[in-house]
Amino acid sequence: MGRLAAFANALAAAAVLACPPVQANQFAEPDPAASPHWQSIRTLMFGDREIVPDGEEVVRVYLNTRADDAATVPVMVNGLIDQTPERYIKAVYLIVERNPSPAAGVFYFTPDSGRVKVETRLRFEDYSFVRAVAETNDGRLYMSQRWVKASGGCSAPMGKNLIPPSLLGKMRFRIDDHIEYNKPTLVQVQIRHPNESGLAVDFEPGRTPRFVRRIDVTYNGDPVMNAQVDFSLSDNPIFRFYFVPTREGELRVEFEDTFDKVYSQSIRIAEGVVPTGG
Amino acid sequence: MQATNAAAPPFWFNAGKLISRHRMRFARILSAAILLCTENVTAAAPLDVVEIAPGNFVHYGVVGERAPVNLGDNANIGFIVGSRCVLVVDTGGTRALGERLRAAIRTVTDRPVCHVVITHAHPDHYFGAAALRADGAEVIGHEHLSRQLSARARFDLGALQRDLGALAEGSESVPPTRTVAAGATVGIDLGDRIVEIRGWPPAHTDHDLTVFDRSTRTLWTSDLLFIEHTPVLDSNITGFLAVMEELRAIDAAQYVAGHGRSQAGWPQVLEPQHRYFSRILEETRAAIRRGDTLMEAVHRIGLSEKDRWALFDTYHRRNVTTAWTELEWE
Repeated sequence: MGRLAAFANALAAAAVLACPPVQANQFAEPDPAASPHWQSIRTLMFGDREIVPDGEEVVRVYLNTRADDAATVPVMVNGLIDQTPERYIKAVYLIVERNPSPAAGVFYFTPDSGRVKVETRLRFEDYSFVRAVAETNDGRLYMSQRWVKASGGCSAPMGKNLIPPSLLGKMRFRIDDHIEYNKPTLVQVQIRHPNESGLAVDFEPGRTPRFVRRIDVTYNGDPVMNAQVDFSLSDNPIFRFYFVPTREGELRVEFEDTFDKVYSQSIRIAEGVVPTGG
Repeated sequence: MQATNAAAPPFWFNAGKLISRHRMRFARILSAAILLCTENVTAAAPLDVVEIAPGNFVHYGVVGERAPVNLGDNANIGFIVGSRCVLVVDTGGTRALGERLRAAIRTVTDRPVCHVVITHAHPDHYFGAAALRADGAEVIGHEHLSRQLSARARFDLGALQRDLGALAEGSESVPPTRTVAAGATVGIDLGDRIVEIRGWPPAHTDHDLTVFDRSTRTLWTSDLLFIEHTPVLDSNITGFLAVMEELRAIDAAQYVAGHGRSQAGWPQVLEPQHRYFSRILEETRAAIRRGDTLMEAVHRIGLSEKDRWALFDTYHRRNVTTAWTELEWE
């Protein structure tokens, strides 16, 4: 069991304990600081470390506040400081506070990541705050949050369409620009994977839900971004992030799911070329 | 304060008595009405049906979101009568509506219900099924219906009970006893009347059926056609448009949509829905090509359709999301 999974289990237990009785105004946006869910998650994840509650000069999280498909809610986390060796964001914790497994993902970056801007899609089980906590290399924590109205996304029946086994694990890369060395470049990676939620109503009890738990992105062997994630991410997970090309080589994405299957795919990077394939 | 004043009742005191006398009488009328309603429920008041072609009886549901005020009666359902027996096309959103459909059948014929077609696993179409198999009817569904029912029924029943409370009582899903494959057509003889059940590839859902009464050329599209109600995409947008092309080729004299009704003829009535999905398809493809993100594009795509459909805010952006997650893999 990975670090995040253990973490997630502990968090899930804490979240259950922390669930307050249903209140009359349960659909109104609560006070983000007073949320009892947050208090226990915060303690578990960050202990008594100080978190700048209005950390929006360092990190911002964006979502549509009312989501139409609770199983497919786009989210973007944007780091607002430059990634330099002196000061950079080394991790972003993405938390869907009221999900049964609140830690949706922890994304790790380096100064070479260019810039911290990650997009993916989330499932929502209940109206919830989404929190992005950025950890800078000096160990400080900065938080941004949004209140999102969407529910039923984790327990909703799985897949509108089944993924054929031959496609499982297939990835698709997308880079729109001609590669320019030393310029942060946007990459999109789509993964064919059911990312099963063990909470789906049709999920057979006792079976291990198959979901992606680790993603490593490297460029010529050096880390660009790696992430520990879980089934709070939508099926067919998608990631958009930046990397900085510096020379000819290979951008490689490897991921591992809860069935211990490892998949990888890569694309060639060369100056002046729009990378294709993957 | 003077004693006399204290002894005199305030002016509203008698008025209050008056009101309560009226209230008493009102309560008696109310309880009589409730009794009447209860009797109606036990006897199952027949649903209103319209015979749109000889032997083809349609009950038009209310175009709206499921709510106690419309009893969850939100889909078009009905039945086809042969000389031997009756085929039911969808059963309504609750057991009670199924009972009332059965009562409507009994106002028309004594022949048994031999077939119940469940066009797809959306709750407004199938939760009345238990009321209609009393004659030992064969329950017909798409080859993927069972999988979807077992995936969704418990979830959907919970939502039904939340939305409708006691009105949802007795509602349950009924698994098919006979299946129709995607691309296959099965002929059913109701006695002097052949009805064709056709299974479709993924479109509205991945398990849609249509019913075609050959003798009157009446096509029951179910949710492969929405009128007035914002079309709903729960599976595959390119598939839906392709299926609509095949529907267009069917030589139908009358039709029954899954939701809503129209004076337009067949196949012209397909046009608004075709335009709706074509727009989503084009605009979503263009947005994906440009490298837009779903987060912001969902607010822009297909907005020119907004004033043409009921329940747009309920379904439209969800449709765009479904289309997007399909088209981004093209």
